[in-house]
Amino acid sequence: MSGVASLSRTVDDNAPYDVEEVRTDFPILSEKIYGKPLVFLDSAASAQKPRVVIEAMKNLYEHEYANVHRGLYWLSERATDRFEQARRTVAAHLNAAHDHEIVFTRNGTEAINLVAATWGRTFLKAGDEIVISELEHHANIVPWQMLRSEKGIVIKVAPITDEGELRMDAFRALLGPRTKLVAIAHMSNVLGTIFPVKEIVASAHAIGAKVLLDGCQAATHQRVDVQDIGCDFYAITGHKLYGPSGIGALWGREELLDAMPPYMGGGEMIDKVSFEKTTWAPLPHKFEAGTPAIVQAHGLAVALDYMNGLGLERIARHENDVLRYANERLGAIPGLRIIGTAPSKASVVSMLADFAHAHDIATVIDREGVAVRTGNHCAQPLMARLGVNATVRASIGLYNRRQDIDALAEALEKVRRVFG
Amino acid sequence: MANLEKFEEFVDNLSQLDDETRFEYILDLARKHRHDPFPASDMTPEHEMHGCQAKVWIVHEQRGDMHYFRGHSDAAIVNGLVTMMTDSFSGLTSREIAELSIDHVRKLNLGSLTMQRQVGMMAMLKYIKKLGLAQAA
Ligand SMILES: Cc1ncc(COP(=O)(O)O)c(C=O)c1O
Repeated sequence: MSGVASLSRTVDDNAPYDVEEVRTDFPILSEKIYGKPLVFLDSAASAQKPRVVIEAMKNLYEHEYANVHRGLYWLSERATDRFEQARRTVAAHLNAAHDHEIVFTRNGTEAINLVAATWGRTFLKAGDEIVISELEHHANIVPWQMLRSEKGIVIKVAPITDEGELRMDAFRALLGPRTKLVAIAHMSNVLGTIFPVKEIVASAHAIGAKVLLDGCQAATHQRVDVQDIGCDFYAITGHKLYGPSGIGALWGREELLDAMPPYMGGGEMIDKVSFEKTTWAPLPHKFEAGTPAIVQAHGLAVALDYMNGLGLERIARHENDVLRYANERLGAIPGLRIIGTAPSKASVVSMLADFAHAHDIATVIDREGVAVRTGNHCAQPLMARLGVNATVRASIGLYNRRQDIDALAEALEKVRRVFG
Repeated sequence: MANLEKFEEFVDNLSQLDDETRFEYILDLARKHRHDPFPASDMTPEHEMHGCQAKVWIVHEQRGDMHYFRGHSDAAIVNGLVTMMTDSFSGLTSREIAELSIDHVRKLNLGSLTMQRQVGMMAMLKYIKKLGLAQAA
């Protein structure tokens, strides 16, 4: 079983893992699509789930399920334990100083919206400035625009280079006395760029601004230590971390979370309710109104345990090896250009072909059983900056291997023959 | 009944093809289109249909009570689909256009196409109806 296998995998932390063995942990990878073996290269959109996660969720439903933080009976305490254990797992995964700094949300989008709706609404006023970057996902643009409409704040956009790196000089030039927040991606979902977040934090803190990092992509490819990075908020999403959909988390510094008003009102988030006055529950429950995603939180914790069992560094090394191979193999296809060539990048290859539209490419390679993402990747401003409508994006998860890249390359060659 | 001769011809042709050849057929439609190119001057925001991954332009003309459509997409497969739609539903009266429904898209039975593309086809039909009916009003 996978549990045993992952134990034996931790013995030598430096040896690469056997990707074929790892693949057997993911039931979906043996599916056939149009009669062909599935080649799944879209983990940046959502990752596939190992059997341990699927089984753990099923098990919780079958044997330990009840609502949390409510009943005094065995099942409810059991479910509450699982849920709070999941919080500890996420806290440890991000190296948070306190477990109660982890707020469970539905996804990364909600984590960012929570900050905009509570911290932003309370502490920002007209004329205050937020700095984002050109390569943000819509999830880290639109919440701030909504806040702008409501409060009259100003959004400044830090430019990137053609390679996809943040222009640090230009970024620093945007920081000023009115900058209250820097909200920026740790890693780009389109270009794969990893931003120099420690430098960003240092510059922002030097002028007294807070920093929110959108870690939806980064956390899947590298170890994240929020205390070492020094940021103030960090958003992650469970389904990209090999966990279920419907669960994400916001990490926030204790003193900031304490000062923020609740996000939504309801059960779980209160201390004492009367019709005259209600007092808030302590962290993190203040931000978790209503019945949370109990089973999903447990599934996420099991997924993180699974990743740690394999070793985050080993995963990163494996993915980087496949990424290097992808750059070589795909880069050699005539008429195909790779967009996003920052030296510091992970696991994402965005491509433009001069022989076919991204939409046509997707259609043809789909029939070869290859799953990649095409389109604007929820980053329309970035596409405008790059002067393209759509790219074809292959993204690499811990279970991908060189053969997957070969299959993609062959499928792309076929596209060239059909349309070229 | 509406004059859907061209549409019925597509339905008939498509029904005889399997997944692989159906795809070739749609691409062929796009290729034929190359001989009768859609002028760049018509690729304007005014004629653009939004909501598709590929760009789609559809131009509407009315002669008497008859409606004519021409369209184009920057993606070849979508271009084939646009051609199918504009050819199918050109030459109809306002009343006939009003009667078109998603059942027509279903009838094309583009089985091998993904849901997203089926949705795209429905959106195209809606757009064609909007263009035709707006002029008639
Ligand atoms: C960089 C980045 N931020 C935010 C998100 C939003 O994640 P979710 O859709 O899970 O909320 C994504 C996922 O697409 C992403 O790639």
